[in-house]
Amino acid sequence: MSRKIERLINLTIALLATKRYLTKSEIFRSVEGYEGSAETKERMFERDKDDLRSLGIEIEVGSFDPLFNDEAGYRIKQEKYQLDLGAITPTEISLLSLAAQAWQGASFDEAAQKALLKLNSMGVPSDSLSLPTAAHKINDGGGDLPLITKAIAEQQLITFTYVDSQLDRHQRKVVPVGLSSRSGFWYLSGVDQDVQEIRTFRIDRIEGEISATKGPKDFEPPQGFDPARVFDGNPSQSIAIIDVRKGKGTSLRALATSVQSLGEWDQLKLPIYNLNTLASLVLWHGIDVYVQEPLELRDLIVAQLETLVSNHG
Amino acid sequence: MGKNFSAPLERTARLLDLVPYINTHQGIALKDLAAVFEVSNAQMVNDLTTLWMCGLPGYTPLELMDLDFESGYVNISNAPTLAKPRSVTFDEGVALILGLDLLRASIPTDRSDLLEKIDSLSARLSSIINLNSTFSVIAPINQGVSAAIDEALASRSSLEIEYHSMYRDEITQRTIFPIEIIQVEGQHYLSSYCYSATDFRQFKLDRIQKAIVTQESKTIPEDATDTQRINSRLKVLKPTREIAERFSRQDLKAGSEFDFQTYSQQWLERSILSSGDGVALLTPPEIRASIAQMAQSMLDRYKAE
Repeated sequence: MSRKIERLINLTIALLATKRYLTKSEIFRSVEGYEGSAETKERMFERDKDDLRSLGIEIEVGSFDPLFNDEAGYRIKQEKYQLDLGAITPTEISLLSLAAQAWQGASFDEAAQKALLKLNSMGVPSDSLSLPTAAHKINDGGGDLPLITKAIAEQQLITFTYVDSQLDRHQRKVVPVGLSSRSGFWYLSGVDQDVQEIRTFRIDRIEGEISATKGPKDFEPPQGFDPARVFDGNPSQSIAIIDVRKGKGTSLRALATSVQSLGEWDQLKLPIYNLNTLASLVLWHGIDVYVQEPLELRDLIVAQLETLVSNHG
Repeated sequence: MGKNFSAPLERTARLLDLVPYINTHQGIALKDLAAVFEVSNAQMVNDLTTLWMCGLPGYTPLELMDLDFESGYVNISNAPTLAKPRSVTFDEGVALILGLDLLRASIPTDRSDLLEKIDSLSARLSSIINLNSTFSVIAPINQGVSAAIDEALASRSSLEIEYHSMYRDEITQRTIFPIEIIQVEGQHYLSSYCYSATDFRQFKLDRIQKAIVTQESKTIPEDATDTQRINSRLKVLKPTREIAERFSRQDLKAGSEFDFQTYSQQWLERSILSSGDGVALLTPPEIRASIAQMAQSMLDRYKAE
C-alpha cells in the first residue's frame, strides 16, 4: 500500500517540478517505484494517471516539439495544481472560513472541511473578530445538494418523483439550472423536459432518490435566468382586497402591496399568486380577516366555510 | 469527496495536503496535527514516515523532504514543489460559494467593503471550478437575531425576544431560556423555556424578529413540566400536500383517520379552518364545536354583505 502511495506522491512531485514535458521512459527511469516488465510499468503508470486525475490533479499531455512526431510527455502545471485565489487578505480568509463552517452537519460538510483545511494551509492568518457576523448554519433538509449542484454544472438530466399539491406522484425529468433557498427550504429550478419550460421544485417534496444521467446534447441553458428571482411570482396576477383587523394578520400584511386604515380594520391590497393558497391563508386567520374582492375568492371561502360548518356541526 | 475514494487514494490526498499544512504550521504537536486531519497518532506517524521517503527524482538526502517529528513536534523543509495547498475540487468550491451566498445576506448593508469581498471571492472560486451557473441562498434569519441566539446558547444566558406567533397571530415580547436549536421538517426551532408562559416552548427561528441577551442570570424552574397535551383524531376528506405537510403525514388517503397531538388548541383550530373541506376534526368534541362556531360566524358576515 505504502509503496503505491509513495509512487503517486513521487510522480506528482516529479511532474510538478519539471519545466518541460517528461516522457514515459524518463518517468520510468527517474521516478522511484516503477518496476517490473515494460508492460507492468506501463499498466502501473496508466492507473496512476487515472488515480491522480480522480483526486482532481490535472495532468497535461503534450510533446516537446510539435514539428516532430515526438513521444508524448506529461507534466502538472503549478498554476492548475495550486489553490490560486490571488492576493488574499486575513478578512477574506475569515469570510471563507465562515462560509465553510455554515455546512456543519449538512450535505457539503466534508467538502467544506477539506476546503477549510486548504485555506488554513495558505499561511494567511484569519481575523474573524473584525467581522460583524457569526457563522450561520445551512440546513439542507436532507436533500442531496452535491448531486444537484453537479447536475447543474454538467447539465445532466435528473429524474425524480415529485409530490404535487393534490398529493399525486409524477415522475419529472428536468435539466436543472439553479438552486436556491428561502426560509429554510431548498428549491431547484430547471427546464422540465415534458413541457420545455422552467419549473421550480421544493427539494423536500421529492420522494425517494434523484437519479442523474447524461443530459440532452442540444441543451441550451435559458437566457437571463436568475435563481434569486424564482420567488418573485408572475407579475401579471390579479389583486385581492382584504380587510384585516388592526394588529392581526401579520403574514397577510407581509404580502400586501398597499395598506389603508379603516378604523378598527386595515384594508390590504395583495397580488394573487394562487387562489387556493390565499383562501387557505385567509381561513387560517378566522374572524380577523374578511375578503372584499374578488368574487371568485369570496365564493371559494364561502363554500369552504359551509363545508366546515356541516363537517363539525 | 474523500469518502468516495479508496483507502490508498484518500491517504495520497491526505499526504499531499499535509505538506502545505505543516509548512505553514511549523512545530505543530504531532497529536494536534493528527486531530486536524482526523486520524490516530499512529496513523499520522505512518503518514509522516511515508512522506519522509518522498521527494524529487534522485532521492538522495538533497532531494528528499526534510521532516522532523521524533520530538513529538513536526517540522518540514525542502518541500518547495508541494508547499502550496492544492486547488479546490468542484464540491469544495460549491460548498464555499453557497456558504458565501448565505453569508452575504447576513452582512449589514453599510459594510459594502465586505460585500465586495464576498462577490469577488465567489467570482474567483467560480472561475477555479469552471462554474457558470449561479446559486442563490438567502439566510433564513436575520443576523442580529442569530448572533444573539448563538451568544445566549454559548453563555447559558436568557434572551428577550420579540416573536411573531403564527397561530395566535400576534407579536409578543418574551423572556426565554434557550436550550437548543432543533430541526423539524426542514425548519429550525429554538427549543426554550419561556418565562412568560412559565413552560417549555419552541420558537420558529425565522419568526423571532428581535433577540437581546439579558444580563440577569435565570435558570429553568425545577418544577417546570409539559403543559396539557391535546389528543385529537382527524378524518381525511380531500387529501392535499398542504394538509400532509401541516400534520406531518407522509401519505393521506381520502376516508382515512389519524391521531394527532398538539399543545395548542389555537393551532389546531386554525389548521382545520385553513384546511377547509380537506379534513374534519372528529375529537375532542369541544374543539369540534368551537370550529363549527367560528366557521358559522365568518359565514354569517359573508352572507350579510
